[in-house]
This record gives sequence, structure tokens and C-alpha cells, in this order.
Amino acid sequence: MSVVYSRRLKKELQEIQIEQADPTKRAAGIQLLQADDLKIWFFSIEVLGESLYKNEVFHLMVRFDPEYPFKSPAVQFVVSDKVKPPVHPHVYTNGHICASILGDDWSPTLSVMAICITIQSMLASCKKKELPEGNDDYVRTAPDNPKKTRFVYHDDTV
Amino acid sequence: MKITVKRWHAIAQWQWDTGKTDDNGDAEEDVCGICRIPFEGCCPTCKVPGDDCPLIWGECSHVFHMHCLLKWIGTAASKQQCPMDRRPWGETIAHLSVHTPRNLDRISISSDRREKGRRE
Repeated sequence: MSVVYSRRLKKELQEIQIEQADPTKRAAGIQLLQADDLKIWFFSIEVLGESLYKNEVFHLMVRFDPEYPFKSPAVQFVVSDKVKPPVHPHVYTNGHICASILGDDWSPTLSVMAICITIQSMLASCKKKELPEGNDDYVRTAPDNPKKTRFVYHDDTV
Repeated sequence: MKITVKRWHAIAQWQWDTGKTDDNGDAEEDVCGICRIPFEGCCPTCKVPGDDCPLIWGECSHVFHMHCLLKWIGTAASKQQCPMDRRPWGETIAHLSVHTPRNLDRISISSDRREKGRRE
């Protein structure tokens, strides 16, 4: 973290923790699971109400670049024995997400919570559960960090 | 060394004129969208607020600490766009506004203290 801007991330964490303690302020379906430092945070995400992902809970891993908020964090779904990534046309089976705000459309005025809400709504608006085109090829060759992938954003509908 | 402030008397207050006002017509207390620090404070790289850490206004009317905005514009990822609306960033001239004595009243800690100040 460019040390000076780490204050912003600390502030975001404090705000999230305050919101989580207050049911009237909390973003429904989004919960901070773990944030031991300013390098890696975990959230649980579920879509409340009617959607293709009813009763499914996903875990999101957010890793911060030292240049945050000038560079976007690396965000992906957790894949483990306990949690699986959603089956979604923009989510690869290794948990990587193709979403323009995590890459080309990132802005330093966005926040971690804004990312969580965008991903939640990406799931909520999904019309058909299917894997991204070329999933197997991508997963076979994908880098550990999704930020090293050059995604092509071609679909503005979800 | 321990210092106790027993009394203080405000002479003037300055504030950036961001053009935004709240319901009372006072300048809205707002933060820089990049560092999330109030405009009246300074960007994280500076120590002292004021002319050395000015604000910058875009043609699109969005305001940031100048140092924060320039750091963003200096990255390739910015594509030279405003972080708020992604329109091409073009700047207007920054302006510092010195507020009238109306705001001076607000700066005193309590009415009691203000009374004392007046009698002196």
C-alpha cells in the first residue's frame, strides 16, 4: 500500500464494520467474513429474493494492490471444499470474474462495498445459469491473480 | 511539555468554495472522492491544508484534492477521465474563498466563550 493512501482502506473497513453492526444500514446479503489486515478480505454474498441463485451463498476474496485505490483490487470467488463459485456466464470455475469495473472501468472513487454490490446485482440479473465460453481453456491457463488476465468486455446486459 | 489550552479566540476561518451548499446555505462538508478526506483537510501526501494542497475543479464540475486527481490522471488506467463520470478531464481554475464574519460565530466553542471574547 502506498502508505499514505492506506488510511482510505482503513476508513472503508471501519465503515463496513459499523454498517454490519446496524441492520438498517447493512447491505442485505453481503457480509464481511474476515479482514485481518489491509491485504486480503473475505465477504459472503447471496442474492436475496427471487433469483437463479436462491439459497446459494458464495464467498468473495478481495486482494488489495499496494496502489489501491488507484488500482483496482483483485476480486474473485472462493473455490474450496465448502464453497463453490456461482455458475454464471461471467464467472469462471476457478472463481475469476469478468467484470469491467474490476479492470478497465475501475475508478478510484469506487469502493470495496461498491464492488460487492455490483457483483451481487450481476448475479441477481442473470437470466440463465451457464459457464463462460471457453471456460476450460481459460481455467487451464489462467494466472493465479485475475488481474493478470486481459479480459475482453463484450456483454453490457448483465 | 504539556500544554493546556485555556481559551482561544477565532479571528477568521477559511473554507474551500466547492459551490455546494447545505440547507442552511453553508458550504457542505464534503470529502474528496479519491482519498475520502474532507476537502478542508489535505490529501494524504500533505501535512498542512491550504494553498499548498489545493482543490481542482473539472469542467464536469467534480472536485478533488489536486494531488489526488493528478495521481489518478498520471496513471494509464485513468485514460485521462474524471473518476466520477469518466468524461475527459479538463480543469477550471481553483478558487479560495474567505468567508464572511457570519461563519466566525460558528467557530467559537460555546456562546459563553464568545461573550467573554466580546467583553475583552
